Amino acid sequence: MGDISVNAAVEAKDLTKIFGSVRALDGLNFSIKKGEIFGLIGLNGAGKTTALRITSTLLLPTSGTVTVFGHDVVDEASEVRNLISYLPEEAGAYKNLSGIEYLRFMASFMVNDKSAVKGLVDAASEISGLEERLKDKVKGYSKGMKRRLLVARALMTKPKLAILDEPNSGLDVLHSVHVRTIIKRYAKEHDVTVLLSSHNMLEVEYLCDRVAIINKGKVVVEGAPAELKTRYKAVNLEEVFGEVVGFA
Amino acid sequence: MLKGLFNIIVKEVKELVRDPKILLPMIIIPLIMFPIMGFAVQTSMEAAQGSMEEISVAVMNLDGGPIAESLMANLTNWNAKIVQIDDADFTEAFNYVQESNLTGLIVIPSGFSQNITEGKTAELEVYTPFRGGGITESASSSAVSSLLSFFENNLVNQRIAEVSKDPETFLNPIALSEKSIIKGKGVDINPSVLFGLVLSQSIMMPVGIMMLLIFAMQLAATAVASEKEEKTLETLLTLPINRFMILAGKLTGSIIVAVVGAIAYLIGFSYYMSSFTGMIPSEAGVDLASIGLAPTLLSYTLLGLSLFMALLSALALAISISVFAEDVRGAQALVGPLSILFVFPMIFTMFTDITALPFPLSTILLAIPFTHPLLAANVAFTGNYLVAVGGIVYMIIFTVLVLYVAARLFGTEKILTAKLKFRRFSLRKGK
Repeated sequence: MGDISVNAAVEAKDLTKIFGSVRALDGLNFSIKKGEIFGLIGLNGAGKTTALRITSTLLLPTSGTVTVFGHDVVDEASEVRNLISYLPEEAGAYKNLSGIEYLRFMASFMVNDKSAVKGLVDAASEISGLEERLKDKVKGYSKGMKRRLLVARALMTKPKLAILDEPNSGLDVLHSVHVRTIIKRYAKEHDVTVLLSSHNMLEVEYLCDRVAIINKGKVVVEGAPAELKTRYKAVNLEEVFGEVVGFA
Repeated sequence: MLKGLFNIIVKEVKELVRDPKILLPMIIIPLIMFPIMGFAVQTSMEAAQGSMEEISVAVMNLDGGPIAESLMANLTNWNAKIVQIDDADFTEAFNYVQESNLTGLIVIPSGFSQNITEGKTAELEVYTPFRGGGITESASSSAVSSLLSFFENNLVNQRIAEVSKDPETFLNPIALSEKSIIKGKGVDINPSVLFGLVLSQSIMMPVGIMMLLIFAMQLAATAVASEKEEKTLETLLTLPINRFMILAGKLTGSIIVAVVGAIAYLIGFSYYMSSFTGMIPSEAGVDLASIGLAPTLLSYTLLGLSLFMALLSALALAISISVFAEDVRGAQALVGPLSILFVFPMIFTMFTDITALPFPLSTILLAIPFTHPLLAANVAFTGNYLVAVGGIVYMIIFTVLVLYVAARLFGTEKILTAKLKFRRFSLRKGK
């Protein structure tokens, strides 16, 4: 490991993933510093979700490595699972449990005693802003409420690394702003490193300290949003994206 | 680690029992449907019994002789209410019987008494009004016939009394005494009574076992597939808990709910069966323990173990297969055809001794793990404990193998990427 890697929260090297005849990742490289909010941006099918799933120990890489705080996601998967919290893009919650029961269920895997579980659930209640509605069964929640519950679940444990796949997926402006604000605030307050994916450039520009634009399973450009805008003389990240990947 | 397992079990049980798709068919319906069915049967039985006790019958006596008079006197003695019809107008008589709700019309033709006195066959006509069928109606019409055959018996006895002192012995010169040999000992019990007992066991037990296993398999398949359908599986798999514990939690949760479902089914079913006991001649008086047929502690233990292993192997099989489904419906469609593995052995054990079947067929049946609890259920009668032990050992090997496959599927990315596409009939991996 080099000098940069020592401080790296996540380090992906030559990551390749092949599904049958599809090469989803093709030598992907990126590195995330501790406490950083890092965004992977790209078109649908660019390989964002596959990269996140490998980092979350769900999929095995065909070749290449990913380490999370120095732990290999394949060889030390259980150590990695102790450090991360993963929010899938299309995640759901158990519809026959109430919001509070769901949070308690999830919290009880992370901490041991009842008061610690309560502490996490209280934190999640505050993050989600759902308050009394947490007593209702999840099946009665709107899409926005469900996403807020799931984001709260992902952040309540103050994980060393939060992996959020399209955190604002399918949300209206109101819920979107709430989720975005919470992620930014919580990450800074509790020193949580965040790896997120999105195809919403404006959201990424607001949230992320650094971004990597990926296309066809490879990183094509990487840097802080402001730096990229200057480099490509662009008004926003959308223009940078158009310049680098091109809008067909 | 165990705390994580406990969390998953509690969550599984909550999710399953709160799901109306599971709660209704598995727990509520057996508890409501069977008692209602039982009540319906019991009520109609009682009505039928009541109608047998109160017979009102019209009698058209066209004979008027002494035997016809004796028949009418006897009917009155046996509590039948008689409405005498003097007129020989049949149309009017039929209408009257139909309208006045009488059980039937007995026509004693002229010459009835004379024919009997002369030793000839005498005719007697019984008309039963048809009011749409049903148990009550058929019971009351057969009650009239019974009274008439009773009268006929009396006539026969009177005849025999003219030639023999003891009409009973005259009619039954041989007293047949049927007994059984059980485990090498002669026992004073009619074998047909024993066969009846064993048959009722060998039908009830397989049906109960089959229901339990089918419940449990559907539950286990649902437990994995609903995680995929509700998109909760990925999150669950990234939690710091051993994936084998997730599998074990799902298995245990499914077992708990399946057992509750089976108990609900048995309670409902036994209530339903108890509604028949009034009409079935009781086989009471047979003390199974004294003839060595009562299940011993050992046979109960073996049956329990055998059932538990069958349950575990069924669940492991269901979970392994449901990994390939994308949603609950897909999982149930995949697991559904497996019920042939229960039905096939059940039918054979009900009607025959498996070891007596041709070799290839008995081998196939013995290779199906779910045959073994059915064989273990008969250990109390056969005393062949080795059969039960062998079955348990076979099921343990089968379960370990299937659990190994299930654990492998859970431990790798296959749980997320393996998919069986029905439309294309091909196995596809990844997306």
